[in-house]
Amino acid sequence: MTLLDFLQLDLPAGLTAVLASSLCAMLGNFLVLRRQALVGDAISHAVLPGIVVGFVLAGSRDTVTVMLGATAAAALAAVLIEAVRRLGRVEAAASMGVVFTVMFAGGVVLIEQAAAHAVDLDADCVLYGQLEDVLWLAPTGLASLLDPAALAELPRELVTLAAMNLAVGLLIALFWKELRITSFDPALASAIGIPAGLFHYGLVLLLALAAVASFEAVGSILVVAMLACPAAAARMLTDRYGRQFALSLAIGTGSGLLGYTLAGPLLLLLGMDWSLNAAGMIAVVAGAVLVLAVLFGPHHGVLAKRRARRMAGAV
Amino acid sequence: MLADLLAALSFQAGYNTRIVLIGAVLLGTAAGLVGTFTLLRGRALVSDALGHATLPGVVLAFIAGSALGLSSRNLPLLLAGAAASGALAVWLVHLLSHHTRLTEDTAIAAVLGSSFGLGVVLLSVAQRLPTGGQAGLGTFILGQTAGMTEGEVWTMAGLAALAILASVALFKEFRLICFDPDFARGIGWPVQRLDLLLLALVVVVTVAGLQTVGLVLVVAFLVIPPVAARFWSDRLDRILLLAGLFGGVSGAVGAALSAALPGLPTGAVIVLVAGTLFLLSLLFAPRRGVVATLLRQGSMGFRLAVVKALSDRRRGPAAPVSGTVALWLRARGLTTRDGALTPRGEAAAERADRNLALWERLTRTDPNAIPDTALWGIDDATRVLPQATLARLREGTAR
Amino acid sequence: MTHSRTPAFSRRAMLAGGAALSATALLPLQSAAAQGGFTALATTGMVGDILRHLVGDRGRVEVLLGSGVDPHTYKLTRADIGRLMGADIVVYNGLLLEGKMTDALVRVASSGRPVLAVTEDLGDDYLLSPKEFEGQYDPHVWMDVGGWIRATAKALERLTAFRPADADAFAANAAAYTATLRDLDAYARRVLGSVEPQRRVLVTAHDAFGYFGRAYGFEVLGIQGISTESETGLRRIQELVDTLVTRNIPAVFVETTVSDRNVRALVEGSAARGHRVAIGGALFSDAMGAPGSYEGTYVGMIDHNVTTIARALGGAVPARGMAGRLAAL
Repeated sequence: MTLLDFLQLDLPAGLTAVLASSLCAMLGNFLVLRRQALVGDAISHAVLPGIVVGFVLAGSRDTVTVMLGATAAAALAAVLIEAVRRLGRVEAAASMGVVFTVMFAGGVVLIEQAAAHAVDLDADCVLYGQLEDVLWLAPTGLASLLDPAALAELPRELVTLAAMNLAVGLLIALFWKELRITSFDPALASAIGIPAGLFHYGLVLLLALAAVASFEAVGSILVVAMLACPAAAARMLTDRYGRQFALSLAIGTGSGLLGYTLAGPLLLLLGMDWSLNAAGMIAVVAGAVLVLAVLFGPHHGVLAKRRARRMAGAV
Repeated sequence: MLADLLAALSFQAGYNTRIVLIGAVLLGTAAGLVGTFTLLRGRALVSDALGHATLPGVVLAFIAGSALGLSSRNLPLLLAGAAASGALAVWLVHLLSHHTRLTEDTAIAAVLGSSFGLGVVLLSVAQRLPTGGQAGLGTFILGQTAGMTEGEVWTMAGLAALAILASVALFKEFRLICFDPDFARGIGWPVQRLDLLLLALVVVVTVAGLQTVGLVLVVAFLVIPPVAARFWSDRLDRILLLAGLFGGVSGAVGAALSAALPGLPTGAVIVLVAGTLFLLSLLFAPRRGVVATLLRQGSMGFRLAVVKALSDRRRGPAAPVSGTVALWLRARGLTTRDGALTPRGEAAAERADRNLALWERLTRTDPNAIPDTALWGIDDATRVLPQATLARLREGTAR
Repeated sequence: MTHSRTPAFSRRAMLAGGAALSATALLPLQSAAAQGGFTALATTGMVGDILRHLVGDRGRVEVLLGSGVDPHTYKLTRADIGRLMGADIVVYNGLLLEGKMTDALVRVASSGRPVLAVTEDLGDDYLLSPKEFEGQYDPHVWMDVGGWIRATAKALERLTAFRPADADAFAANAAAYTATLRDLDAYARRVLGSVEPQRRVLVTAHDAFGYFGRAYGFEVLGIQGISTESETGLRRIQELVDTLVTRNIPAVFVETTVSDRNVRALVEGSAARGHRVAIGGALFSDAMGAPGSYEGTYVGMIDHNVTTIARALGGAVPARGMAGRLAAL
């Protein structure tokens, strides 16, 4: 592995991993509090009809139309999940289960009805990106890091995710208090005049956008895991909203970096001629961090609780 | 088309249609029953996690099989791997939601994401093996509904029998852990063991379903009929009956549609039929349905507006009221043309005012004592509230 | 917006071809370029087979996907990208067979390295696409040996342009390989032609045999479509059973990469109507056999498919295939 390899392959892919992880980890906090952690998986299935419609309308597997279709489907899924949850007063998971299976089935029927079954049309083939495919071939040396011409050729995925991070970060900062109250206590929020419904719908729509952008850049595996694991791990470590947010961000980006390194660069540095799937490895690392947090969390961890029980018993 | 549909439903449309129809009805019924318990226990999507979590098991089984020199596509071996890792994942979900502060859905999402990630990592290992046969490994164990065979129908029959048996034999136990797990624990029931038993049922249904109808239909069968049935009743026995019925009907109608019309994939159509049943329930179920709720809210809102208008008028200069409320007051002879209270209106207003005051006080002092079934501010508080509560309230008034 | 017939990236690759020199200067030292040869990288085993025969001892051939791996869904890892970047010339199937991996190929091509699709010269006159979606071509070109001979010619042309110095060696190698492929094609025509015309129906698990059917005069009926999300309906199953029974077709086929459940349902359905259908064997569709075996080569793969199909449908077939090298049944 050379410096050039690092600049061209590992730097863009590693950065993309970190950005996708932080984006998902940020949003994951609110999902975990609202009992909607599974929405990433739900959306990953629900985009299928959008992909098919996009394909049928454009007559090609062109990324832009497929993305538009997928985004529309994701937004529709997000709104439907929220609507069914409210109108039917059913729990979020059940609402997701209904919406994503029905939408996915609709996509499968559309494939056959549009005679698109003779085309290789599925989310994996036309939408989901791959971390490893994010290459930045412009740099020729360290100097390129400051060269505007080279920077102008930064991979699209990296730029999109950076912009999404910025937008989501900004929105969260702007509505910090409202999001907190609507997540923890929607009834109170309504009582003091915060439109909790508006925030719920806004959040799930934002999530749908972020999910599709991340799917396109890094695939669904990383997204599904990162929406749940970092926020859950942070929840085992603290009770405070601000700290929860910061911790999940740290765990998310840390898992992204560590997972990517373990899957690829480390193995090559050790002289192997093979490597592992990076997105999968990042998901595994995030899961491992959650296990550690569950075991060793200071107050809510399993060991801490056991110790507290023993002490209480001794007294 | 209608003739084709009827032929399919009456078992006269050929061998495969008959087989698939029976199999889908049986699986739909079994999943409807088991899904009802998991839904009420707050674990509706545990089957989704399980389905994804089979991937690492399948790939590990493939790698192990290759190492042992077995045929790389040894289906029983792959299925054993799938079942083992699926069960492990469900057990992890159980541990996380029982022993930590994480909610069920977070536990499910975390386990789903990490285990699927592990599967993908292992897949990248398996793809380097010099044994061949890796292609399609990820979907190899997933079945399609239209391809059901006779042997599988017997499996489905076994599942249905198991689900019915468990629902009947453990009805009381499951009801308590679904509706009041704390109480169940309090009176010393083995809640954890019952939970595990329930999860074992989910594992059996999901794994058997995965290889016959695929992931999405299994999840749909376990979630949609119970959610739809929940709209129609609060009683577990009725919900169970309806969920089983919805599952079975979806299976039958979906299979028949897919046999009668071209280009309708069987499993997907069954999901759509179930989705339609859900939509009808969401909209039109009595009491919990959207239409019923809107009507009730509308009429309640109106009656409350009337009460408030009366009470306001008694206190002083009349606050403006909506046209319909004013019309109603006049039509009932409670107000005169210029909006002042008639003698009958005075009496009614006094009653309304006193009643409203009681409700308001109750809300301030003891909101938990408000009965679910009472209409706030409309029902006569002295009739619907328990005597003890009333006495407490009056005491407050006296002081 | 019009959609070009050849994928846009291959055009870009061609335009960028001239810049290859500057890029090759950056290659890591372990590349064979340093030893006077060069490294050619193929994506799928089938494409790799072409390259191995054409390049011979003039360079090193690497294949990204193991012979049993499905190119539709393969996910590149970091080491694969390293190999992609380290290769002097990259050859792939094209027609979006490589799915999202194509994105990475586009990027590599944009850096000036020669990247070519062996199918890039095949036009509308040759390629199959569903009539509802013109231009969305079926990528399974290798199923027709004639098509694969044209793919070989394309690879030869681009290899020659890439290393003019080795042009003679490439040409000689290509001639030998093409001759083998012609023998294979002739064998396929002979044994498949021995199947009774009314039985020339190939029922398989999924729709990967379109080019095969057209080349060798078979009607091809796939139970499920190409898309991995494609799911079959009961109507389709019943129609296929009807066809099997009314045309008295003796065998249906499973594929090595797709679950055999749907095919077994056809067998049961036919049996219920008193018609015995056998499972004629497992065909290689998207991936070849185990590496190192005869079936793990392109010729072996096609030999296996052709021999299996012809035998099961009642054709006259040598016991162990064209060259007597097939694994005994």
